[in-house]
Amino acid sequence: MITVDRVSKTRSRTRILHDVTFEARPGRVTGFLGPNGAGKTSTLRILLGLDRPESGAALICGRPYRKLDRPLTTIGALLDGSGAHRARTARAHLRWVAASNGLPDSRADEVLEIVGLTGDARKRAGRFSLGMSRRLGLATALLGDPEVLVLDEPVNGLDPVGIRWMREFLRNSAAQGRTVLLSSHLMSELAEIADDVIVIDKGRIVARGSLAEVTGDHRTLEDAFFALTATEAVRPW
Amino acid sequence: MVSRVRAELRKLLGLPTARVGLVLGTLTAPAIVLLNAPYTRRAIAAGTLTDTSDLGLRDLGVGLIGPMVLGVIAVSSEYTSTSQHAPGARQLTATLTAVPDRLRLLVAKTAALVLVVAAQAAVAATATLGLTQVLHGDHVPVPAPARVAGAILYWTLTALLAYAITLITRNGIVPLTLLVINSTVVSVSYLLTKITDLASYLPDIVGAQMFIRDADFPVEIAPLTAGLVMTAWVAVLLAIGAVLFQRRDA
Amino acid sequence: MNVARAELRKLLTLPSLRLTALLTWAATLLLAYAYAYADRDAPLDDAALAPLGYTQAGFLVLGVLAAASEYEEGGQIHTTLLAMPRRLPLHVVKALTLGAVTLPVAAVTAATSTLPAGGATWTPAATAYLTLTTLLAAAVAGVVRRAVPAAILLLGLYFIAGPLLRARPGGIAAYLPDTAALDPPRGAAATVAWTAAVLALAALTFHRRDA
Repeated sequence: MITVDRVSKTRSRTRILHDVTFEARPGRVTGFLGPNGAGKTSTLRILLGLDRPESGAALICGRPYRKLDRPLTTIGALLDGSGAHRARTARAHLRWVAASNGLPDSRADEVLEIVGLTGDARKRAGRFSLGMSRRLGLATALLGDPEVLVLDEPVNGLDPVGIRWMREFLRNSAAQGRTVLLSSHLMSELAEIADDVIVIDKGRIVARGSLAEVTGDHRTLEDAFFALTATEAVRPW
Repeated sequence: MVSRVRAELRKLLGLPTARVGLVLGTLTAPAIVLLNAPYTRRAIAAGTLTDTSDLGLRDLGVGLIGPMVLGVIAVSSEYTSTSQHAPGARQLTATLTAVPDRLRLLVAKTAALVLVVAAQAAVAATATLGLTQVLHGDHVPVPAPARVAGAILYWTLTALLAYAITLITRNGIVPLTLLVINSTVVSVSYLLTKITDLASYLPDIVGAQMFIRDADFPVEIAPLTAGLVMTAWVAVLLAIGAVLFQRRDA
Repeated sequence: MNVARAELRKLLTLPSLRLTALLTWAATLLLAYAYAYADRDAPLDDAALAPLGYTQAGFLVLGVLAAASEYEEGGQIHTTLLAMPRRLPLHVVKALTLGAVTLPVAAVTAATSTLPAGGATWTPAATAYLTLTTLLAAAVAGVVRRAVPAAILLLGLYFIAGPLLRARPGGIAAYLPDTAALDPPRGAAATVAWTAAVLALAALTFHRRDA
């Protein structure tokens, strides 16, 4: 369960988030949709305790990220990049992360297997292709077998096989009762996997609800998105 | 060629660290002359500082961190990633797409560095020597133009030395550490001259003889020879760097 | 405890740290030999500590690399903070583990410099000094967040500004963080105070800044 409650943030005197409020529920894939620079990543960074909100609160299972004990057992996150230092091997990277949350070393090899990187365990992260880096990032997120998954543009850099694999993986995770929140600017991609959709534009939530609710009378989610963001663009708030 | 040099100049001068190098290198030496003026005057009056002919030229040495930083950063900036999130996204990739001929790229880069450092050295030398004249003019002879030129050449060659070593190591920390330690009051090279006379031919020791006369160099080398030896060092290292740059994958 | 294990693993699996430690030790050995050969009539304490005056640069680099590695390409700092979100305890543990890893390297390097010159009594002080210097450098790099600028700053202060200030008459020298490198009794307090101050500043910025 993810609860974001009236989160605002100002960066270099520009307000980048205005009272952002939404939920992501267990057993569902929640898509976080918005154009580049709309505030998706900023919201996720606040949710993950990397940045501080100016006001409001972002909670994971009722607690702010920084108050979580062994956070990786509750929530796994995939951000931009692999999150690994280029000089470390994939296995060495996963092992230190495992140690930080009291997880056994064997988890490193298990998650490498899940994301299909077993053969590259001894390779240095700096030698990974973009797609492999994303898989390594996902492996890191899965280390603690968390009940909540947060992914920022997860299909970026993946090939068609990887995209399909990711889609099925996220659907299965939700089917097992996990909370899945993923951001994307790819609407057709999101329409394929999301149960619920939140649309953000210029730092404000402009729509939220089930995929059908947000799509409404429009032919596709994409049409709905342009209708939503275009009207917001001309109507002053 | 001119446009390539201009592009490299713009790239170099756009780097915040390079600007730090410019400011440090240009201002340190004149600042030291100013700060030390009262002590220097007292030392001259007391007769403890008898040989004053090298005074301004010696003070110039502390500014060498500027050329070192510029030489290192000109290369290392190409190899650091452009974004924290994109492993392998180096500026070099963009650079090589724009100028695929690596040798020409290197020539343009070298030319840009030489221009910047020579200009910096000229300004720093004029300021330092000018201040020395204003403050202690009665006691310090005006240095011969050839010696000032030697000092400017020394700065330029030092920058190229830093640049060449960074081309070889592809990492800024190693050359920076080596060169900065070696520019201390008692440099490692100077220490080595006490063990073997051959160390007198190390680039930093031999180069200083282009413009500093009365020092306790174990082997005295004529300014022209000194300049040639230091240039040879730089040329050899640059050649090695260029060959590696040509052959290695970006 | 988990945090300490994780940080320890991080430090031990960074090849650049091993290389820096090895090069620093080798350079110390070379300089100790050079001093033994060159300055037979120099005062004993001088020859025992002088090589470390140069090779402390290696420890500065060690600290810089250890701290700046978090912020390099790949965004490891995100992984670190996602796994260990409590920043102040994390900062303390980071300093302690870096100290623990550096200590043996510092001890061997210090002994390499002091023993040939017959200055064995200086070894513990020199070991402590080098370890603290590493922590100070790591704290500075933690604030600057990038390796090359942090190295320029530290090397410039230790090897250019320091000697210049020291050459001037007046009592400022004893207050510089690196006075202890050549004169432990005079500079010890300054080294400890500077390291503690910069570590505190680094902790504050680490706690407050967006990652």
